[in-house]
Amino acid sequence: MAGERGHPNYVAVWFWLVGLMVTSVAISQLPFSKSATDVVIFAIAGVKAVLVALNFMHLRFERLLIYSLAIVPLLLFFILTAVLFPDIASH
Amino acid sequence: MSDSVTGKAPPEAHPHHTDLGFWRTYVFSTDHKTIAKQYLAIGLFWAIVGGLLAYLMRWQLAYPETAVPGFGWVPEPHMVDGIIPPEFYNMLITMHGTVMVFFVAMPILLGAFGNFLIPLMIGAQDMAFPRLNMLSVWVLAFSSVVLLVSFFVPGGAAASGWTAYAPLSAKAVYTGVDWGQNLWIIALALEFASFLMGGVNFLTTAINMRAPGLSLFRLPLMVWMELTAAVLFLLSVGPLIAGAVMLLLDRLAGTSFFLPEGGGHPLLWQHLFWFFGHPEVYVIMLPGMGAALEILPVFSRKPIFGYRPIVYSTIAAGILSFVVWAHHMFPSGLDPRLAMPFSFTTILISIPFAIIVFAMIATLWGGSIRFPTPMLYALGTLAVFIVGGLTGIFNGSAPADIYIHDTYFVVSHFHYTLFSAVFFGGFAGIYYWFPKMFGRMMNETLGKIHFWLTFIFFNAVFFPMFFLGAGGMMRRIYNPLQYEFLQSLQPLNVFITYAAIVLFLGQLPFVVNFFWSLWAGKKAEQNPWEANTLEWTTPSPPPHGNFEAIPVVYRGPYEYSLPEVSEDWLPQDRPVEPRPVPAG
Amino acid sequence: MSQTHAIETQTETLSGAAIPSGRLGVWWFLASEIVLFGGLIGTFILFRHGNPEWVAAAEHLSLAIGTVNTLVLLTSSLTIVLAFAAVDKGDSRRMRTWLFLTILLGLVFLSIKAFEWSTEIGAGFIPSTGGFWSFYYAMTGLHALHVMAGIVINTILFISAVLDRLKPHEYRIELAGLYWHFVDIVWIFLFPLLYLA
Repeated sequence: MAGERGHPNYVAVWFWLVGLMVTSVAISQLPFSKSATDVVIFAIAGVKAVLVALNFMHLRFERLLIYSLAIVPLLLFFILTAVLFPDIASH
Repeated sequence: MSDSVTGKAPPEAHPHHTDLGFWRTYVFSTDHKTIAKQYLAIGLFWAIVGGLLAYLMRWQLAYPETAVPGFGWVPEPHMVDGIIPPEFYNMLITMHGTVMVFFVAMPILLGAFGNFLIPLMIGAQDMAFPRLNMLSVWVLAFSSVVLLVSFFVPGGAAASGWTAYAPLSAKAVYTGVDWGQNLWIIALALEFASFLMGGVNFLTTAINMRAPGLSLFRLPLMVWMELTAAVLFLLSVGPLIAGAVMLLLDRLAGTSFFLPEGGGHPLLWQHLFWFFGHPEVYVIMLPGMGAALEILPVFSRKPIFGYRPIVYSTIAAGILSFVVWAHHMFPSGLDPRLAMPFSFTTILISIPFAIIVFAMIATLWGGSIRFPTPMLYALGTLAVFIVGGLTGIFNGSAPADIYIHDTYFVVSHFHYTLFSAVFFGGFAGIYYWFPKMFGRMMNETLGKIHFWLTFIFFNAVFFPMFFLGAGGMMRRIYNPLQYEFLQSLQPLNVFITYAAIVLFLGQLPFVVNFFWSLWAGKKAEQNPWEANTLEWTTPSPPPHGNFEAIPVVYRGPYEYSLPEVSEDWLPQDRPVEPRPVPAG
Repeated sequence: MSQTHAIETQTETLSGAAIPSGRLGVWWFLASEIVLFGGLIGTFILFRHGNPEWVAAAEHLSLAIGTVNTLVLLTSSLTIVLAFAAVDKGDSRRMRTWLFLTILLGLVFLSIKAFEWSTEIGAGFIPSTGGFWSFYYAMTGLHALHVMAGIVINTILFISAVLDRLKPHEYRIELAGLYWHFVDIVWIFLFPLLYLA
């Protein structure tokens, strides 16, 4: 049942995850502007999440339905956060 | 066809499990049909509680600060010599809404109907995860106990509205209710967990375990409705659970997520609540409509009109339901730039529902209509929904809503839509599927008496409420006579209260009918309504495993009055070649 | 044959290329979890944006501890997927080893978190100390509860494997893994949100 899907090189993915983590920690300690740093570290977090999802959770081998179960809730998260922004993010 | 979980062939229908003993058969059952009955029992129990809470509210509104007949026994400080103090009234309006939405509507329309019908209608032997199913109904039972306990703790049950707006709900001192509100939050969290489990079961079962030949566009509309409801619930409840965690922390740990003096945002609660709350009302509405959509073709002996438009409309309404929530918040102080977009989406969402209403009417048009009790209720679902839906349009437009928000206008609007789904749709389903569920027919005379009492007095209660609301009567107020501008409307309140009492008593024929028929009703045949869907190909009630052999499906569910077949119905699983139509 | 009504007569099997039920069910559940954590995290992002002074409170978190914990959880994701790979190869012994390591690493994560919380509480930082701390405890607390649940699930599977009862249900390792990876992904976002930004 699981055999028809491939097995990515899990250890290689792990090295990437650790490397990306170390990078984002390093960048956060360097004296760049806050907003630039934030963009980079969250982009890195996004890449790490995608690596885990595609490889460890085998999302790259899954059908459209499973992909949508990952994507649609994320969309809702963006919509909710965006709509609440004017009311909640101001002080 | 192989079992998609283990790859093995499915077992034949199980022999009668009479050797499982009482507890495994009736209490700790994994059979979806038994679980459905357990959900039904929970829902009907809470319906009585919810109705009694409404009776108390209505008495206070008609005759403020007088003793409520029959309730002199409630001890102080809850009630004082049968009179309702303001704090108790706040509890009544809160718990009436909470109970009806979460412990009546959801258990009956999703727990009972969804669990009973989905496997049967798709030709499966049970749900994909039977033990998870059992866990879900037991979590709901536990949640019920928590909610019941909340009535008896010091301070009484929750009293900040079923919507629990912060900061009223975030600090015990504001309502005088302490553990009652905390238990309310916990009970709801458990209820959400129960229906999350159920939703996972519904969706996995319907996607994976359909009988051969049962493509998605041959599914009965009831299944489409249950599935859409499950998706809506699954994807909308998360933020509210997050909000509930934050509310509990505000109450118990001194945080200020929602308390302005600590840097919190009361409006945040409203957004998180309604982000879930709006899809939730469609979670309730859709299965109620689904029951009506199953029943109308059967008793018009006509195919459903516009099957695909109905399916597409349901999906469209589901998607749109995620982007209309702020229409509950127009006068709340939210950013004014949100008013127009949300008005726009709200008006848009009326379109798919209008399509479904027109399809229901067109289904009846030219049909050979009979009027047994399920059909009366299905027609009632349609009629009542039209009023509810039309009045929703006033509420959905921000400029109009500013006047009618939080008045009895909106109370009446949502009772029309909720009654349409829960009462009329729910009873339609109960009367229609009772023979299949319990193997007995319900009494037709009692059923018709029940229907007419309910229909007439429901309208007597809620139609005048539109005028109360337009006349300025606000929601949730304790004593309308305190306000000079409302005093002239008081006769309406008195009338509504008496109509409500008759409506409540009018449910007695149903209670009598239900219990009497369980034991002494006429034994039901396999297909008393001559309907096409797969549940009617099983015995009444179906055995464990439902089908002796998994059926094969050849057509959609609504092939009625085909000229090529001698009967005026044609079940989904009958492989008959149609008789040739004579030439000329 | 003269005109007949268009009654379709398809009889093809539907579950031929279906997604196995267990996996489908877990993904539906994960979808609901994404909106749950999404709601909490989204709310934090909004508050954080309106309260730039919270960066001072975040200074009190130990970056070293957070980094170590992130490493622990990332590695536990690796071990559980290696357990799943072992199932595919039919190597039950390896599967048990990797699963045991996953449970161990999960317990290490929780221990470090507990230690971290106790030092912070000892220094006087409790949920009511301020907005940042309210969110910190709420988010890491909810996450920790999910980690605990994952450890319980993994332990049940491990015991079942040790008692040699897991063989017909070994696909459950993959399902437990899906949940575990999700919990890891939540932390992948919590770490920069709380410790780095």
